[in-house]
Amino acid sequence: MPASPRAEAAVRARRFWPWLLLAPGLLWLLGLYLLPLLGLVPLSLSEPLSRFGLETVFRGRLATYLEVLQAYGPILWRSFGYAASATAIGLLLAYPLAFAIRFRGGRWQPLLIGLVVLPSLTSYLVRAIAWTSLLGDNGPVLALLQSLDLTAAFNGLGLLRDGRLLNTPTAVILGLLTNQLPFLVLPLVLAMERIQPCLLEAAADLHAGAWRRFTQVVWPLSRPGLAAGILLGLIPAAGDVVNPLFLGGPNERMVANTIDNLLLVQLQAPRAAALTLVLMALVTLAVLLQLRGRGLDGLPLP
Amino acid sequence: MPAQLPLPSSQSGRRLFLQRLAATAAGAVLAPTLLQACKGSGSGNGNGSGELVMSTFPLYIDPDAPGAPGSVSRFRRDTGIQLRYLEDINDTRQFFARIRPQLAAGRPLVQDLMVLPSWMAQRLIGLGWLEPLPLAQVPNIRNLVPYLANPPWDPQQRYSLPWQSGIAGIAYNIKATGRELARIDDLFDPALRGRVSALLEMRDTMGLLLLADGQDISQPTWAAAQPSFARLEQARKDGQIRRFTGNDYQNDLLAGNLAACIGWSGDVAQLVLEQPDLRFVVPESGGVLWSDVMLMPKGAQHRREAAAWMNWVYEPVEAARIAAAVQYISPVVGVRQQLAKDPATAALAANELMFPDGAMQQRLHSFGPLSESEEARWEERFASITEG
Amino acid sequence: MNRIGNVLLAASSALTFALLYAPVAVTVLFSFNAPRGRFNLLWQGFTLANWRHPLGDPALTEAFLTSLALALAAALLAVLLGGLMALSLARARLRGRRVIGLLVALPLTNPEIVLATALLNLFVGIDLPRGPLTLLLSHSLFCLSYAALTLKARLAGFDPSLEQAAQDLGAPPLEAFARVTLPLLAPGLLAAGLLSFSLSFDDFVISSFMAGETVTLPLYLAGAFQREISPQVQVLTTLVLLVSAALLLLATLSGMPTLRKAVDLPRRDPFGRP
Repeated sequence: MPASPRAEAAVRARRFWPWLLLAPGLLWLLGLYLLPLLGLVPLSLSEPLSRFGLETVFRGRLATYLEVLQAYGPILWRSFGYAASATAIGLLLAYPLAFAIRFRGGRWQPLLIGLVVLPSLTSYLVRAIAWTSLLGDNGPVLALLQSLDLTAAFNGLGLLRDGRLLNTPTAVILGLLTNQLPFLVLPLVLAMERIQPCLLEAAADLHAGAWRRFTQVVWPLSRPGLAAGILLGLIPAAGDVVNPLFLGGPNERMVANTIDNLLLVQLQAPRAAALTLVLMALVTLAVLLQLRGRGLDGLPLP
Repeated sequence: MPAQLPLPSSQSGRRLFLQRLAATAAGAVLAPTLLQACKGSGSGNGNGSGELVMSTFPLYIDPDAPGAPGSVSRFRRDTGIQLRYLEDINDTRQFFARIRPQLAAGRPLVQDLMVLPSWMAQRLIGLGWLEPLPLAQVPNIRNLVPYLANPPWDPQQRYSLPWQSGIAGIAYNIKATGRELARIDDLFDPALRGRVSALLEMRDTMGLLLLADGQDISQPTWAAAQPSFARLEQARKDGQIRRFTGNDYQNDLLAGNLAACIGWSGDVAQLVLEQPDLRFVVPESGGVLWSDVMLMPKGAQHRREAAAWMNWVYEPVEAARIAAAVQYISPVVGVRQQLAKDPATAALAANELMFPDGAMQQRLHSFGPLSESEEARWEERFASITEG
Repeated sequence: MNRIGNVLLAASSALTFALLYAPVAVTVLFSFNAPRGRFNLLWQGFTLANWRHPLGDPALTEAFLTSLALALAAALLAVLLGGLMALSLARARLRGRRVIGLLVALPLTNPEIVLATALLNLFVGIDLPRGPLTLLLSHSLFCLSYAALTLKARLAGFDPSLEQAAQDLGAPPLEAFARVTLPLLAPGLLAAGLLSFSLSFDDFVISSFMAGETVTLPLYLAGAFQREISPQVQVLTTLVLLVSAALLLLATLSGMPTLRKAVDLPRRDPFGRP
């Protein structure tokens, strides 16, 4: 039977409506994300015309990248190092908590998850300011360590610097860690949702101890949660600005501070663009390593 | 097939209604606040309202106290001019980065007046981004202290009018250091390791170090600065210097995180009221004398109001009130006599940091000018130290 | 699990919560402090005066309201655009689905400084002055990704047969969607909206590049160290905390979709019976 014009129109509309729905959002993403990002490439290969003017001239200058890597390579290394340390310690804390929420939480699960998320709903600048009070030379944390006579030991371990906690790498990593925690715990809980308690019971019945139950059951099945946590935790941490600024000193500056300084203080936009793209490349590498063909659909993003 | 079917239309209709209500409420809340946000801080179109907008550093004027309105309130009351006094300049270079895109594109700023260091004034004058001040309408300019008239950065006194001057020196907590400090070398004392800070204001920090190195900072040279740069860098790497700060060295001094630092004379004078153990000293090798000046960006619209403000703050009575609060070096003649009249402020009239006599003036030095390319080199070297 | 294991589990969880709540507790505590000077960072004495005047710092209040308005606008925009995208990605069999999904998710994986630098370069290049408009554009962008992904996940776990049933009963597609799917999607929309709101409200890095002369709350706080940290900072933060806690409690008690529904697992007992 020949299709009526109205049916044909309906069929055509049905093919177009997905794209119609996508259009505004896609416009946003292309215009405000992809194109500006690509626009950094020619900027990074340009030179400023004058010191205080905004114009740059494209010269195809690759040397900028070499200069940037040479001058700021150590800072990039440090940034990922701090972020990785914070994520590693964070995971050590997040796994037990996620396990407890999933398998011991019962009907309190939503409430417990809410409690984990609640602090991140307050301004993280206010929390950083609060940490400066807590970790200050006359603050409670240091006083506690002194009363427990742990100062010398921590000094030796490098956790304190001359008996100070504020403006040290420890303080910065601590700040990065507490910022990340909710984003590490949540995906792990979601991932562990897929683990039925009966699996753990079965493993116990087969005489597997607690450690083996973890390594053979929990760990493999919660790997997507781990990947999500690293994506949502480590990568933003590497680009953090506030924690090194408030809790660190000039020896603890991270790459985002440097980009900020290059752009706003030294007024060197091409260098800033080059460093930004280098950071972007490293981040993309980290993301690809995490995804490894799995695709984002497989990740339990909250 | 799930066990539950959605409830009948009355419930989903109610939900839709609630959604629409929420959306309308959000819009009702949103619109006025968004309008307020746009109005109160629109950039790129100048300042079309009747407000006089001034950006300056914090801690730079007498604040409102219960029963005693501050200068801003009194000015508003006396003249009827709506003054918007913004203490939003934390770091001169960052402020410059904020205003650069506008001024470079030839667009006016929100501000009609800004208070910035003289070296920034020189840069802005050179770039042509300033309006000449309406000094013809400021009769009180005759009260400007002679040694600040026609300064090197503005030889014809057209673009700038001094706000306050001050001294960069050593601020310290005598209980924390355990002794009196007198020399820049004291900041590098290993006993104070990790409890010392320096300023991000390059000319103040490097000026003091160069003076301690016996150099003449009225004509600073790159070669002469290298040993001082190296010394500073080493101190930073060793952990001698805890932080590089703007105005926020005050918090750390008060909280006990700093024992000694490079700071500014007026700030410390104000902090002593809170923490009596604090001291300020001009180093033996000399202190750095700086001036902050009032400037008008190109395209500013409220010239009459700006002139009224400048005239008002150059009235000796008002200038004395400001000086008593901030305790910096006032550019207005007659302030000393005003302060001496009032028993509450008489002691300040004898303060050598506010009214430096001949001997003190010998110990104070101004940082000389740097050419554009020189400045870029210095800034880059300094940034490599302060930014790690 | 044996006793030691359980003790370790409890101890570790307690430590984690302590780390999470230490700065929050300090903030709440200091909202009751009577500071001597301009910086509410040292404990001086207990007072209720700050709570009687929560709006006592006009510059802070103005920044707070600016952030509020901006976050509302950005969240609405993000949920709208993101919702449309999510609908399309979850329901339709598009050919470029994976690529588009990647594009949506990509902004999430970048540190904020990357977006900030790119956007600053864009706006300087097209000569768009920094202010409320650039703030709204940039905030709605990163919220869009979160909103789209959240809603896509919610829609993925959705049973399309409900809507089909409505259509079988004679309702046109749009009405079927509006009267069946949309109400059931409401909790997801709210969640995406709240998430976008909090992301925008708390944004610092992108705002510091995009704000121009506009002062949002995080920007105000960043400069506060140089200027003044009034007790109202801690008071307002505590208020935000209380409101958020109340909303969370409400969401939990009103039976919003639990995690099970979000990951599309029907309730089963240990023996696999629904």
